[in-house]
Amino acid sequence: MVKFLKEINLKNKIAVITGATKGIGRSTAIAMHQVGASIIAIGRDTKDLNSLKKKLKNRITCIECDVNDYEKISKIIKALKRIDILVNNAGTNLPEPFLKVKRSSLEILLNVNTKAAFNISKLCTDKMLKLNNRKKIGGSIIHTSSMFGLVAGPNRTVYSMTKFGLEGLTKGMAVDLAKFNIRVNSVCPTFVATPRAKKYLANKKFNSYALSNIPLGRIATESDVATAITYLGSEAASMITGTNIIIDGGWTAK
Amino acid sequence: MFKKIDLRNKTALVTGAGKGLGKACAIALAEAGAKVIIVSRTLSDLTKVEKLIKKTRGSCLKFECDITDIDKFKSILKKIKRLDILVNNAGNNRPEHFTKVKKENMEYLVELNMKATFNVAQICSQKMVELKTRKKIGGSIINMSSQLGRVGAPIRSVYNMTKFGVEGLTRGMAIELGKYNIRVNSMCPTFVETPMVKTFFKNKKFKQKVLENIPLGRVAQENDVSTAVAFLAADSSNSITGTSFMVDGGWTAK
Repeated sequence: MVKFLKEINLKNKIAVITGATKGIGRSTAIAMHQVGASIIAIGRDTKDLNSLKKKLKNRITCIECDVNDYEKISKIIKALKRIDILVNNAGTNLPEPFLKVKRSSLEILLNVNTKAAFNISKLCTDKMLKLNNRKKIGGSIIHTSSMFGLVAGPNRTVYSMTKFGLEGLTKGMAVDLAKFNIRVNSVCPTFVATPRAKKYLANKKFNSYALSNIPLGRIATESDVATAITYLGSEAASMITGTNIIIDGGWTAK
Repeated sequence: MFKKIDLRNKTALVTGAGKGLGKACAIALAEAGAKVIIVSRTLSDLTKVEKLIKKTRGSCLKFECDITDIDKFKSILKKIKRLDILVNNAGNNRPEHFTKVKKENMEYLVELNMKATFNVAQICSQKMVELKTRKKIGGSIINMSSQLGRVGAPIRSVYNMTKFGVEGLTRGMAIELGKYNIRVNSMCPTFVETPMVKTFFKNKKFKQKVLENIPLGRVAQENDVSTAVAFLAADSSNSITGTSFMVDGGWTAK
C-alpha cells in the first residue's frame, strides 16, 4: 500500500554543509546525521569541527576551509567522491544603518553571502551531475536565507540585498536544475537562538523589537530550522523546488 | 536535533476527506499517530477512508456533512471533545473562461471555497482555544490553497479569486491566533494526481501544457502533499505560521 506519510530519511545520502561549526549549520549536520546521512562539514574553526566530529563519531568528515577561498574550496569539492545534498549555509551579517555602511562591510557580505554562496552552489552542482543516475535518485540544495530575504529590517540593507539575492538564485537554480531532478529551495528563518543572534537579543530594545514582530511571541530554535532543512533534503519533499520554507513565527505574514 | 513528524495524542479534523487530497491527508495524519475526524458529503466515501485508516491501526470518527451547511457542521463540533489540528480542505473548481463564467458557478465556488472555508476555520478555532493548555501544547490549521492562490492561470479566474482569498485568510488568522500558539498555514500544490485532476487530464493538450509549466516535469502525487500537511500539523514545524507551503515542482518559481 502507498504510504501517505513519506518517511524523512537520508540513508546513503552524502550531504555537504558549509558554516557547519556553529548555529544552524551545526544543528543541521546533527539532524541530517540523525536520519542517516553522511556529513561533510566545512567550516573555519578547527576546534568547533573537532567537537562536531566527536559528537557524531561516524559518517562525518570535517574540512577546515574559509568559503571565501575559491581555490581551496574548489579543490576540496572536486576531490569529493559524491554529493547528494548541499546545505549552502555559510553566511554572516554586519548590521549598520544604510547611511553608515562601510565599504569594507559591503565587500565582506557580498563576498560570503552572495559570491561564495553562488560559487559553492555551482561547484557542488557540477559534482552532483557527475553521477550517471542523478535523474533517478535526485538531489537537493538548500540555501540558508532569512526572513530578511523577503522583507526589510532596520540596519539590514546589505544583509537584505544579499538574502533577497539568494532568493533569486534559489528560483533560477531550481528552474535550470529541475531537468536533472535536483531540487533547490531556501529556508527563511526569523531570529534563531544561535550564538550570533543571542548577541543581538541581549540588547533589551532589540529583543522587544524582535518579539513584538513575531505573532507567535517567540524566536525560532536551531532545531526548527534544521528540521525543515532536513525535510527539504529528503525525498519526502520530492515535489518541492524553487520555493522557501519560512520559519518566522508569522513575521512576514503581517 | 531533528523533530520527527509525530501526532500521537493529537486529534485532527479533515474536511473533504472522502477522496483526493483530503483522503490522503486524513490517512497521513493517522499514520503519524493522530486520531482523525473525517468529514465529507458522501458517506460511502467516508466508509472507505475509515477502513483504510483502521488498516493503519489508526482511530477515526466519521461525519457526513456538507460544510456549506454551517449549523450541521457546528453540531459535529459539539460532539467532539477536543481538537488540535484542522485540515481545512473541502473545496472545488469549475473552470470557465472569465467572459463566460456562469453566475451560479461563481456563487457556488465563493460559497464553498471562501465562505464555508472561513466558517469551518472559525468554528474549529473556537473549539481549539477552549482547551486551557492550548498555549502550551499548540495547535495547527492548514488551509488547502493551491499554486493558483499565488499565480493566475487560464479559465481559473474564480478559482484564483477564491484561493488568493484563502491565502489572505491564512495570514490574518496566523496573526490573530499566534497568541494562542495556534499556527495557520496554507498548502499550495501544483496539479496533483487526484480523481478531480485526472478528469482534466483526459484532455491531452491540457496535460501537456501543465507538464510544460512544471520544471520538475511531473505532477505531484497525493502523498507529496499529505506528507507536507503532516509536517505542518506536527511540532516539527513549531515556528512556521502565516506562510504558504508550496508543493509545486517549481511552477511558481518561474
